[in-house]
Amino acid sequence: MEFVTLSLLNGAIYGMLLFMVSAGLTLIFGMMGVLNFAHASFYMLGAYFAYTLSGMFNFWVGLIVAPLMVGVVGVIIERTLLRRVHRHGHAHELLLTFGIALICEELVKLFYGDFPVNYQMPAELNFSAFTVFGTNYPFYRLFIGLVAVAMFAALLIVLTKTRIGIIVRGAERLPKMAEALGHNVPLVFMGVFGAGAALAGLGGAVAGAFYPTNPNMALDLGVIVFVVVVVGGLGSLEGSLVASLLIGIFTSFAVGLDWSIAGLLGVVGLGGVAEAIGGPLTLTLSSASGTVPFLMMLIVLLVRPAGLMGSRN
Amino acid sequence: MSHHSHPPVSDEVLVIRDVHKAFGGLVIMRGIDLTLKRGERHAILGPNGAGKSTLFNLISGNFPPTSGEILLNGREIQGLPPERINRMGLARSFQITNIFGRMTAFENNRMGVLARHGVRFDLLHRIAKRSDINDEAEAILNQVRLGHRIRTQAADLSYSEQRSLEIGMTLATGPDVILLDEPTAGMSREETAYIVELIREVTTGKTLLIVEHDMSVVFSLCNRISVLVYGQILATGAPEEIRANKAVQEAYLGEEAA
Amino acid sequence: MTRLLLALIAAAVLVALPPFLGLGWQNTLTNMLIAALFAAAFNLLMGQGGMLSFGHAAYYGLGAFAVLHLMLAIENGFNFPTALLPLAGAGVGLLSGLGAGYFAAKRTGVYFSLVTLALAELLHAIAPHWQGLFGGEAGLSSMRMPSWGLEFGTSLEVYYVTLAWVVVSIGLLYAYTLTPFGRLTLALRDNEQRVRFMGFDPHRTKVLVFGISAMFSGVAGGLMAMSQETANYNIFSMAISSQVVLQTFVGGSTLFLGPVLGAAVLTVFTFLISEMTRAWMLYQGILFVLIMLFAPNGIAGVIQLHIDARDRLPWARLTGPYALATAAGAVATTGLVMLVHYAELVFADAYRARVARDGLWEPVSAFGIDWNPLNPVTWLVPLALIVLGIVGILKMRGPIAQLWATPANIPPTAAMPAPHAA
Repeated sequence: MEFVTLSLLNGAIYGMLLFMVSAGLTLIFGMMGVLNFAHASFYMLGAYFAYTLSGMFNFWVGLIVAPLMVGVVGVIIERTLLRRVHRHGHAHELLLTFGIALICEELVKLFYGDFPVNYQMPAELNFSAFTVFGTNYPFYRLFIGLVAVAMFAALLIVLTKTRIGIIVRGAERLPKMAEALGHNVPLVFMGVFGAGAALAGLGGAVAGAFYPTNPNMALDLGVIVFVVVVVGGLGSLEGSLVASLLIGIFTSFAVGLDWSIAGLLGVVGLGGVAEAIGGPLTLTLSSASGTVPFLMMLIVLLVRPAGLMGSRN
Repeated sequence: MSHHSHPPVSDEVLVIRDVHKAFGGLVIMRGIDLTLKRGERHAILGPNGAGKSTLFNLISGNFPPTSGEILLNGREIQGLPPERINRMGLARSFQITNIFGRMTAFENNRMGVLARHGVRFDLLHRIAKRSDINDEAEAILNQVRLGHRIRTQAADLSYSEQRSLEIGMTLATGPDVILLDEPTAGMSREETAYIVELIREVTTGKTLLIVEHDMSVVFSLCNRISVLVYGQILATGAPEEIRANKAVQEAYLGEEAA
Repeated sequence: MTRLLLALIAAAVLVALPPFLGLGWQNTLTNMLIAALFAAAFNLLMGQGGMLSFGHAAYYGLGAFAVLHLMLAIENGFNFPTALLPLAGAGVGLLSGLGAGYFAAKRTGVYFSLVTLALAELLHAIAPHWQGLFGGEAGLSSMRMPSWGLEFGTSLEVYYVTLAWVVVSIGLLYAYTLTPFGRLTLALRDNEQRVRFMGFDPHRTKVLVFGISAMFSGVAGGLMAMSQETANYNIFSMAISSQVVLQTFVGGSTLFLGPVLGAAVLTVFTFLISEMTRAWMLYQGILFVLIMLFAPNGIAGVIQLHIDARDRLPWARLTGPYALATAAGAVATTGLVMLVHYAELVFADAYRARVARDGLWEPVSAFGIDWNPLNPVTWLVPLALIVLGIVGILKMRGPIAQLWATPANIPPTAAMPAPHAA
């Protein structure tokens, strides 16, 4: 019972974190058709900027300013780099973002070193929210979830209730039409790219204080975020949310379970045979927890590329 | 000559029987019946949105009909993939030029010739040594009067040259039945007359189904016309009959005359 | 004719030079050859087939493991010539490529790329837990056994075996482009729909292209296993898949020898630079981005442009602007290197620890001068160099573009029309 509750709680929060990062990615893909390889780099930059700012000022300054800085970086990248190769096609843009991701990782290593930095949560947030089955549940985890929920609510309001949001959604559906109606579509693109980057940066700023902040965090999270947007449906915000929670909760559970196919076969008495064969049969779910998201992505791509809720194909 | 081994079964080379097509809730074809006789030149006329391109897509295998049959030389082809249908002797051109931009005009044609000779997975020979294939590709290029542009990259050809190449590629696969989708679209009067002459030459002895907007092309080139309006065939007959048909005049020619 | 000559010269150098080089260089050349083959195999799928794979490390890695298993078998008495080891890589590469291609080719565009990525990452995640096949976290190790009278002990011998395999494989890949299927591959890239309507099955075609690309990737991986005598699950990582992508596009994906050039340049570049600075990956990334922005067809593309226009370009007049642009580029690069170098020193952990401890900012040295990190001049000088260099290049763009636009210099007599008979 304890395991289930904790896994559920942790999984949901991890899922919300995934959503913070994947929301921007799926928006950007839905709008510009570009799968931004550098998106997880924005997450990483958010964490590192927040770390530096929290060192110079305090945690809250970092939390607010770091995402803005990352947003600016995103806007600059779109304006000076991506726009230039737009005419060469999507594959080219993809490759460019890939190169940018590489440079981001190396720059971080250059300025901060190739090891984790000590980005800590502030003292005022470092308490236990409640006790669950005798374990103190850190408030900061809930804080991550709260920030993510607030972000989702804000996003929803902006996209559905404000004029900007309607323009953005219009430009996503039919960019030429939106342009014909007089909207500055390149500006919208730039804005969405920057906003998406800022969201990922926020994710990094808030998560980096809890999870390790190191130059690998972009790659580690980045691949999972890809899985999330594919499973949820490229371009679908709701799909992203559902997929994030799904994968977050699943990973959380899987890490603590020692099930294996051999164990399953053991129930029918074939345990010994399975153990003898070895290989993937003896692989426990906890070890394979890293594998399953990719399996999910593969299955989605092959069976239903539109994902859970996507409409594009 | 052709690798299609099926001998002609009857005079009716292409039969379309009660074909319907709907995309979700949108109904495009509402029961089409059409028979193409061997050797004839048959035009499909109709206002935009009548479903002419959809008809071509259905026949050539781009997607299957919702219901109904399409028979080529007596064999059912609805639902078959385009490559199968092509190998059975039917080839189509595209309204929007659909060529291999980064290959030369010669190579574009050669792809079709390779297909006709059944050379699909050959990894063992130098293509430069297949003089039979190369000669045939060059011959077709000459047939569509692009012999002087043999080494030009397809993307660098002029618009009407590309349309000629498009026709050449359609021919190269050695079909008995040719579908041409608005081959003179976007052309000047001289270019149109030129292409019409070309089509007349190269489709001698073959069956032609052509979608066209240009009345003069249709009336000079074709011996039968079908008028397609809102997914149904309003009338089929010789050009003079169609011209005189009141319903057709109202639905289609009336618009043109106005 | 000149191409054949160049090829022969390159071959001669590759054959004759290595005995005179040190072990480090011999090893680097072996790595360079393997990377060149991997890139050429990758580009069969990319440049010719138009399919961007982000997980090619899968087939490279599987080839490596196949060879290691064979090596282990030979160690245990199985009779198989060592020189033919890469055949195992080819076989496994082909089979896995056909299988993977069957699924991947059901999708196009970014979805195709994601499938290839997922497959490689799946392998990367499973391998460390699979003791039998991949040796778990430690991987597999073996030793080259003597065969055919050769010891295969020295890196020079390894080099020559690698050279032979790479030359033959790249030759076969080139021959591929001359076959009907090779032309079909190009047509598929250009216009898949048209290919269908001409009677070709695009899915089967794609699967075969994928299989062949994976086969030669497996050979490359196998050669690496032969050379290093070990491999572990990291061979399936994104880093390996990324490297081949980087090398291919830096060299140029649109020409057959582009990826080979890119692999050669980057491998040697990495070897030279990685000794001097930890930031060599950063330079690679910057180079890649610059090429993506300004020379989308890669270095080979730029060379090809010049070769194609060699008759009409006013070479004499071009040397000036080109020299200036190159000099400007060198200036900007110097500034960049200085900046990165300073950053590397000043932000290094040890340095910062000393600053925290002693409050002393030690000077960083470059070009024999000691620069004070706290002095803004230290940072302004390289910045100024970068700006200067960029300005210089931009200024040369106009004149160079103009010179490219001038029509060919036709000698007066040839320009006059020949008299026609009436």
